[in-house]
Amino acid sequence: MSEFLNLDREKEAQTKLTNRSTFLLVLVGLFGFITLFQLVKLTVLDSGLYTTISDENRIVRVPIYPSRGLIKLSNGEIVTENIVSQALTISPSKTKDIEQTLKELKENLIINEIQLLAYKEKSIDKKSKYERVVIAENLSQQQIARFSVESDRWPSLSIEARLMRFNLSGPIFSHVLGYVGQISLEEIEDSINFSYPLSFQIGKSGVEKSYEEQMRGGVGYKTIEVDVHGKEIRELTRVIPKKGSDIYLTLDKDLQELARNELAGRKGAIVALDPNTGFIKALVSGPDFNPNIFNKTEIGDLDIIFNDLESPLFNRAISGSYPPASTIKPFIGLLGLKEGEIDWNTTIEDEGFFQLNEEGRKYRGWKEEGHGQVNLAKSIIESSDVFFYQLATQLTVDRIATFLKEFGFGLKSGVDLYAEAEGILPDRKWKLGAIGESWFVGDTVNMGIGQGYISSTPLQLALAVSSIATRGKIYKPKVVAKVNEDLIEKEIFLEIDSIKESDWEKLESSMVSVISDWRGTAFNLNEIAKNKIAGKTGTAQIKSLTDEELTVKEEYEDIRQEVSNRDHALFVGYGPIPEPKLTVVVIVENGESGSAIAAPIAQRLIDKYLSKNN
Amino acid sequence: MSNKAPLDYQLNTSFGTRKFTLSKLLIDPILVFSLLTILIFGLFVLFSASGQTVVMVMKQSIYVAIGLFLMFFISRLDQSVYKSFFMHLFWFGLILLVWVLLFPAEGYKTDRWIDLGFISFQPSEVIRLLLPLAAASYLTRNQKRNTIKDWVVVLVAILSSSFLIFKQPDLGTALIVLASGCIPVFLAGFPLLILIILIMVVIISSPFLWASLTPYMQQRVITLFNPESDLLGAGWNISQSKTAIGSGGFWGKGYLNGTQSQLDFIPESHSDFIFSVIGEEFGFLGIFLLLMLYGIILYRVFKIALNSSTEFSRLAATSIGFIFLIYIWINVSMTVGTLPVVGVPLPLISQGGTSILIHLVAFGFVLSMKRRQTW
Repeated sequence: MSEFLNLDREKEAQTKLTNRSTFLLVLVGLFGFITLFQLVKLTVLDSGLYTTISDENRIVRVPIYPSRGLIKLSNGEIVTENIVSQALTISPSKTKDIEQTLKELKENLIINEIQLLAYKEKSIDKKSKYERVVIAENLSQQQIARFSVESDRWPSLSIEARLMRFNLSGPIFSHVLGYVGQISLEEIEDSINFSYPLSFQIGKSGVEKSYEEQMRGGVGYKTIEVDVHGKEIRELTRVIPKKGSDIYLTLDKDLQELARNELAGRKGAIVALDPNTGFIKALVSGPDFNPNIFNKTEIGDLDIIFNDLESPLFNRAISGSYPPASTIKPFIGLLGLKEGEIDWNTTIEDEGFFQLNEEGRKYRGWKEEGHGQVNLAKSIIESSDVFFYQLATQLTVDRIATFLKEFGFGLKSGVDLYAEAEGILPDRKWKLGAIGESWFVGDTVNMGIGQGYISSTPLQLALAVSSIATRGKIYKPKVVAKVNEDLIEKEIFLEIDSIKESDWEKLESSMVSVISDWRGTAFNLNEIAKNKIAGKTGTAQIKSLTDEELTVKEEYEDIRQEVSNRDHALFVGYGPIPEPKLTVVVIVENGESGSAIAAPIAQRLIDKYLSKNN
Repeated sequence: MSNKAPLDYQLNTSFGTRKFTLSKLLIDPILVFSLLTILIFGLFVLFSASGQTVVMVMKQSIYVAIGLFLMFFISRLDQSVYKSFFMHLFWFGLILLVWVLLFPAEGYKTDRWIDLGFISFQPSEVIRLLLPLAAASYLTRNQKRNTIKDWVVVLVAILSSSFLIFKQPDLGTALIVLASGCIPVFLAGFPLLILIILIMVVIISSPFLWASLTPYMQQRVITLFNPESDLLGAGWNISQSKTAIGSGGFWGKGYLNGTQSQLDFIPESHSDFIFSVIGEEFGFLGIFLLLMLYGIILYRVFKIALNSSTEFSRLAATSIGFIFLIYIWINVSMTVGTLPVVGVPLPLISQGGTSILIHLVAFGFVLSMKRRQTW
């Protein structure tokens, strides 16, 4: 009985086992089918996609940076070269926590805050996410050693050699050469026809920026196979980078050095150019800076430069706007002659002031007692203000503005440097728009002596004055004469053909007399002059003199207490006469005296240039 | 002495001396050859997956050799020799589990190891074989129907051992042990009504279970559903593994030519993710052939189980077969991204000596349960 029951129970258990096994098999089979389908999907349906991903994993396109074109002088002397430096690079896609990594690097003193470049996080999605990014440049031997010891901690970091920019002449050419720096995301996005790699060094100012296209060369690429840590296993292909073009400056190093020494760190600008070609021979803006600090090839604190109230980065020679003051007078005179308002014999009585009518405001000349009987020549030689107050009033602002534009006032010259300013050439429309007032005759009076709203850059003045030297031709100013073997041709910028030859000659001779005549405002130059030059002094007022009770001298005594209120010293000139070879404009901010401060600098520059080129 | 030996055993030995055949030596040649093929293939794959490290392959080979020896030895035993031992061995295994939690071996990331100096092993691997065998043994210990009390005893044993492993912490093995214990219980005829109630309880308590997981484990589950969310972190494993298998395509990239594998893109490529290496280097074809081999093994195991003579051996062999199947299913699923990455090795191939040893021992028991067709 029990035997039978047992058999029965055992049979029941076996049936149960079979049933439940079948059930389990079906269950696992159903889930297994999902996995099986996924396997087919991965290996057959989506295989192409995953092959691409796996290739992207292991194959990395690494840019090979080209050697940037050198900057040389016309004699072939190198001014800016490339030097090898060690940089710390990171592979963002291989780094789990970038912030943490950077923090660790700082804590371990491998890099300091100043060296650490702004990390371009957004760039990872935009550019190839496998590209390496430079996070610190110009590592010291000590830093390299420190990193090498602990490099296992950060497998996604590595040290790479790269070429950096070094100016052999230090700050001498600072505003002309400019500097390079890490490309920004905006610059990558804005570049047309050129795909910049993430850690490219791009020109940020000066010729480094304006000749970026020529000097950058062509980026090469190599494709390499890497392991999971970004370590190179082997090279697959390579495209050789193309070296950038060398550029040759028009500048004369000796002249540039002299100009810089003459300015001696004062605020101001000196522009010297060949009036016959527009080629700039010297361009100094003071104070200046050492571009190598920006290039990261010399150590220095950028914050000191950025926070300097005297703005050493500001290129006063092309971006600074100054009242032209008396240096505008020759051009007002020319317009008077052209329009027939005056001739060389027209004389007026300069009593020291000018009034529009009997009761009107007295516009005072710089000389309290006046210059007496003055004609155009004498007004230029002695710099009579009253003569030009009178003449400007007769000419009206409309004619003055139109005429001055022919000399490049209010226009950008298109010099091959960035951030050129256009100054202000005011007229009725301009005043209404900029000031919101209509034009008064008094504004014209001021404009006649280059004061008031009118302002121009030192470069504009140099170009305008050059037109007298060339009898009406203004060439486009250039700092680069040659790109590789291609000579850059001179280009006409403006041409003034409404002036009679005899008027040019007489104007020039009166400007020669500014120096040679004993009454001339720059007669003091006779002591040092080695060459005959033509010129015009200028003293730009920062603060206008309005108190009629005080004499000009008395009132100015008050004003000059504050250095920044002192007048700017200006001188424009060219030489030698005849056959001028160099135009020079000197502006010394708060230098007070065009004749005593600015003029001698110009004379010495012209003398130096001629002694070299004869 | 010989009178006490079972009839089966006597017949076997007497015939064995007279006439040698392959099936007598190996008991089930198809099963054994399939195992050998996978083991040898596994060693080759391990060489590739370990970054071509000979040492690792050598070490694994030693375990394989020991495992094969144990399998051969156990397969000669009669089930009546060992059946009653399992319940005692289980207690011993449980003590070992408590031991590792109290006195963890130095030098390991988790408290899973017992270091005997000459050999180190994971007691959790031992328990995951002992538990189903002990359960099967307990549930078939007499001719009577199992009472509620019997079921409760077994369930308590299962839950306590998986809890101890979960505490190590080793979620993957804990789940495997849980499944290993539940399979014989289910197959032995656990009352369906209670089963349904239990499942309901688990579902209701799942939020609390979730809260008891460590953030690391939670993260692993979360990333299953959205591996792209954290490509450099937890999702990295799954996405790299899928990339490897997918890029292998139908034919594979060739042995030692898998870029994902050889360039270290697959994490844990020698252990949990070795299936990705197979997929990348041998393609769908390789995977298919491997799964076929696994299928043959399972087929043989279930066939042995079905034809086996005792209730115990039927239950034990079927359970071993299902456990083996679940191992494969979980490992393959997690490498292709259909299950969370829980850390379950691919049986017989993944690096890990204890695991292979235990699998081979299990097959030894299965072989020993084959009804001898000697008469």
